[in-house]
Amino acid sequence: MAELTLPDSRRCQYFFLYDGSKVRGEGDPTRQGICYFYPEETPSDKQDLLCSQLAGVGRCVSELSSSRVSTLRLRRCKFAIRMKDDFFWALGCSVDTPTVSVCELLDQLIDLFCFYNGPVRTSYEVNSQETLAARWTCFLSHLLPGHSPLTYIFSCLRTMDSTNVDPLLLLKAALILQACQRCPLVLAGCILFKGRVVSTQLSPELTMKVMVHESETYNKAQRTNGTSPPGSFGCAVSSTGVFLTPPELQHLQSPPVNKDSSSHSTPQKDAPPKRTRLSRTLSDTPSSESEPSDPSSSHSPLKLSFSPHLSELDSVFSPAPTQSGSPTCSPPPPPPPPSSQRRNSHEAQEESLDESCYYSFHDSAGGDSQGESFAFKANPRLNGGDGSEFDFSGPSANKTMSGDNEVCCRSTKGHMTEVKRLTPPPQTFGSNEKSSLIPMTLYLHRVNSLVLVLLVEPHFFSDTASKEEVYHSSLASLNGLEAHLRTISPAAPEPPGQYLFAHYDCIQNTLATNVSGRAVGAPEHPFVRATSLLHSHFCGTETLQEAIIRSAGTAVYGTRSVAQETFFQQLGGPPRNSGIPNHQDSAFSLPSKARHRLLKHGVNLL
Amino acid sequence: MKCLLIASESAEILFHWTDQEFQQNVQEKYRSSQEEGEGLPAFEDIISTLFAPIIISCGTMVYRQGDSYTSFTTENNHIYVLCQFDECLYIAVNGDGEEKEDDLRRKLYVMRKITEVMFGMVTLSGSLLRKELRPQDTEQRVRLWKHLQSLLDTYNYLRENDQSFLVEAVERLIHPTLCEQCIEFLERRLVQQINSSSQVERAGEEVLHTFILVHTKLLAFYSSRTASTLNTSDLLTLIIMAQNMYPSNVELDEPSPEVQDAESTSGSGPESFYTPEPSPSSRDSSSSAEQPARGSTPVFEFVDPDIQMAEDSLHTLEISPPDPSTPRRVFLELKDGQLPMVPHSMYCLPLWPGITLVLLTKVPNIQLTRSVYSFLEDFTKLEKCLNEGQAGSGAARGQLNMHNTRSKLDKFIRDLGPNELQCVQLLNVWTEFKNRAFTRGGSGFNKDLIPLCKSMKTQLCSLYRQRFLTESGSADGPRCLSPALQERAQTMVQEKLMDWKDFLLVKSKRNITMVSYLEEFPGLVHFIWVDRSSGQIIAPSLSITERTTSELGKGPVAHYIKSKVWGLVRTTRQYLRKGYSTVTLRDGDFYFCYFLWFENENGYRLEAGDIPILPDDSLPIGMLGYDYYRKLLRYYGKNHQGEAVKCYELLTVHLGVIPTEIILQHCRQLASKLWEPSRNPLL
Repeated sequence: MAELTLPDSRRCQYFFLYDGSKVRGEGDPTRQGICYFYPEETPSDKQDLLCSQLAGVGRCVSELSSSRVSTLRLRRCKFAIRMKDDFFWALGCSVDTPTVSVCELLDQLIDLFCFYNGPVRTSYEVNSQETLAARWTCFLSHLLPGHSPLTYIFSCLRTMDSTNVDPLLLLKAALILQACQRCPLVLAGCILFKGRVVSTQLSPELTMKVMVHESETYNKAQRTNGTSPPGSFGCAVSSTGVFLTPPELQHLQSPPVNKDSSSHSTPQKDAPPKRTRLSRTLSDTPSSESEPSDPSSSHSPLKLSFSPHLSELDSVFSPAPTQSGSPTCSPPPPPPPPSSQRRNSHEAQEESLDESCYYSFHDSAGGDSQGESFAFKANPRLNGGDGSEFDFSGPSANKTMSGDNEVCCRSTKGHMTEVKRLTPPPQTFGSNEKSSLIPMTLYLHRVNSLVLVLLVEPHFFSDTASKEEVYHSSLASLNGLEAHLRTISPAAPEPPGQYLFAHYDCIQNTLATNVSGRAVGAPEHPFVRATSLLHSHFCGTETLQEAIIRSAGTAVYGTRSVAQETFFQQLGGPPRNSGIPNHQDSAFSLPSKARHRLLKHGVNLL
Repeated sequence: MKCLLIASESAEILFHWTDQEFQQNVQEKYRSSQEEGEGLPAFEDIISTLFAPIIISCGTMVYRQGDSYTSFTTENNHIYVLCQFDECLYIAVNGDGEEKEDDLRRKLYVMRKITEVMFGMVTLSGSLLRKELRPQDTEQRVRLWKHLQSLLDTYNYLRENDQSFLVEAVERLIHPTLCEQCIEFLERRLVQQINSSSQVERAGEEVLHTFILVHTKLLAFYSSRTASTLNTSDLLTLIIMAQNMYPSNVELDEPSPEVQDAESTSGSGPESFYTPEPSPSSRDSSSSAEQPARGSTPVFEFVDPDIQMAEDSLHTLEISPPDPSTPRRVFLELKDGQLPMVPHSMYCLPLWPGITLVLLTKVPNIQLTRSVYSFLEDFTKLEKCLNEGQAGSGAARGQLNMHNTRSKLDKFIRDLGPNELQCVQLLNVWTEFKNRAFTRGGSGFNKDLIPLCKSMKTQLCSLYRQRFLTESGSADGPRCLSPALQERAQTMVQEKLMDWKDFLLVKSKRNITMVSYLEEFPGLVHFIWVDRSSGQIIAPSLSITERTTSELGKGPVAHYIKSKVWGLVRTTRQYLRKGYSTVTLRDGDFYFCYFLWFENENGYRLEAGDIPILPDDSLPIGMLGYDYYRKLLRYYGKNHQGEAVKCYELLTVHLGVIPTEIILQHCRQLASKLWEPSRNPLL
């Protein structure tokens, strides 16, 4: 009955991909089937043992239950298992990681692989095992960050601290993205700064995937340039081929705003004069005070942007309403023949990884001022001249796919997230994954630490006009945004506080917390442990709204709604208690304390 | 879709229990993989074939990785739980969502507990247990497996329907006057009379404990002064066994109004109404429930007679029921675990349907257990020493111990009388051991001695088995209390309780009513209070059957609340396992609270201590299969030396609209209100 604490800092103990089709006969060595094994330094007999035993037992249990195995637990390690065709994935984590989190991590890992490499079977036919092994390692290192113990519980996006950033900057970023979207070949995008999301139009899952490539190219660029910041490298555009699942594509092709809540007439009246501001630099952006009072502005509460201000402004600014009047809809791009496309994208991707695809529109001397002037030149054309092209076939004009479908999709998102945790996402393991993945291209435009990432149609890069247009229309604004973001001083580290909290937004996949990534055993440890338990409980019990749990030394309060989970612990040692029911007990005042204290972090628990 | 099986290291199925659905499912699987025209092999062979890869892989992982599987889940939410107990692998499967992982693990521990109570120290030897669980003789095997299967069925039913088996604590009938009278009666009349009857009549046995069960609830419990206390784990297992022999049919034994009327008017007639006639034939039928033929009487709601009959092909074999007056041999723990698995005889005497008298007697030659156990411990220690390769000081110390053991074992074998075959075998192995270990020419204490250690243990266990498990131990038939004596005991208690029996049967359904608490605690829906030091539960009745209406009414609401209570217990155990002794949850329209705390004997609240944090797949939290709370009390008591520490638990279900402060106030008041009646010691 001794206390069991795991000092293991490496929570992911094993990850492997095993191809059962390569080991059919009695004499076939297990080794042949092992496509990838992490950690790679594991002795090969141990690799063989784990792969053969786990895959064997997995198959046996699957046959008995007529269903794939999803988890497999040993006394010292718990594995999330995915089986598809003859492939067998296993991700082993320490036993104190919540099972839902391990499963989620594995799903993300596989999704990530498919996003950049396409279907697993074909990518193993096309590429060498070593190349793909390097990619698995890369993806794994992205998904297993060590910066906070909480990231093992909530797989979340790292975002700018919205309490520390001028909301206008966030608005600015959103506007840049919308401006880019006016090119019909651009589906959607996001803006990242120093590995954190500034603004995104993509779903959290897609944003996460996109960020991996960004930080990879960033790291490589830094390595090639020594330690100097990539500022000397100048503004660079790169691209890589990616693959989307049909639901992802469908989601992207639906309009960015909630159609039900945006009226058709008023924005059309207001929009034209304001649309000229779309690409203006920050100083020209209208002050935020005037906007909320605008009676015609409408709310879209579940928008995928981060600042609450934006929801109001966007509906006014968004080009979508003007387009919504147009009856023409561009159908979703017909998926090109998979084989040729696949090869193209593979080539593209490999090139991008080799950096041979890095091309720059300007010399590094180009600097900010030159960029500005380009942007100004580009403006009239964007807003006026070629308006017809944008107005009639913007990507958000796919009205057929949107409407009620979209609304319903968003409002049930919270539930979907829960459901998804319990069962693996169907799109990844659909019966015909091979044929269903749709090739797309990722466009990256870097300005120092700021990156604009856009998901574009594969032929975007052969369309010089569109390419230049997107580039020029965004360059000045990106430079401006970068300059402003750069000057923001990092939020002062909070003094060792009176309390710990974690606020998880299930819709946006973001986490706000004051728990820092310190060594295990720090005062945060009990909080992390309680949070992990409560999170699992919340995931498993839909009706559970709030909980207080207390051990001899710690009391933690957890509460959740459809969209969020919040955890709170008062520090400073609660007075010792007898454990007997007592209404004067400090533990039971946690809900009111949490409500009070978290307001200043922008968390409203009322 | 449920299954439980025990397998040996060589993937031999030692026991299996499956429900109809699982069996059909598995047979389908097998048929589809088979070629046309081939007949379906025996179910046991199918299950053995299908599970073999799992069992073998389990062994490989233990051997090569030093780790073992504890559970699998599949995408359609089937759960597999695996536990290794000594040399046997226990596997439980659920595919219908009715049981969670914790329930399955609990079931495995309960199965293990049942085998311990039934086979005692034989469970310590893998090879002997294998023979015991899987007798060569088919008829014997069928009978044993049927018995074990029906025990598991009974346990499953109780865990799903009886609060005392949900929280694993004993529930008493709350009627102080009657309880006191009964205890006095058991002491002054019953036990005294049996124990003072002639040696021949009671075959050298002596009644140690006796208790009266009304369904699963305890009316009275008396232990003779010489007996050591019976622990909760054993008592709960005995209740399962008694329930299995004389299942209380919830649907049928509720006295209908007409019967009650008839009784109240006629006055003298009713005793023959429920009393089974003492003729052997009717007794056979009353004990038939213990045997597989239970299908003919719809014992439990969920058993469809046809399904039950079709469930196993083994049904086709005719099994002669054992003589009902033959006691069950049970192995119980003495002295708070210091002396485990001491043989007792258990007599279950039905008084009326639903009311049972249980006698536990001490069997002769009990001191043999103590010796065998201490030798087994010595050899286990030595084996461990040798395995770890402690050649130097460790082995030397082991040798010292072994010299002591040597003289004791020499004397022990001498006293046994060398004529029996078993003793000869033991002596042979012991002589070989001595030659190897102690003589100059021998190899001394090294790893070569391990096989001999093992076979010494096997010999000791098999001696124990021969003495306490095989009925042919004595030439003059089974030794037990004479049937006449048993009958006398039965009649005595029947006479005593005659006027009370209907009251008792009703009382057992309405032991505590929620309505008596409502005025004081408005908004309270349900509560469970457990004294873990004595293993007692106090909770309002929650029985929901088709015919009777509980206080919660019947239908969906009652079932919903029941499922919430069951879920709450499961949840709080998870938190307790992680060291959280206070939990409050707002779930839907309800507010749940759970508290665990410690007090000293005078009711003074002790400060909450750290509770050990256990991994998810560790032993189940409860008292039946494994006594977690005894361990917890010991752990906590380390810092409270010289004080008797008590441990209490309180669970409450309130309506969510009640303000939290009021709820907490309620909990506090309830805790102090319930504390009082529990001061009467249970045992």
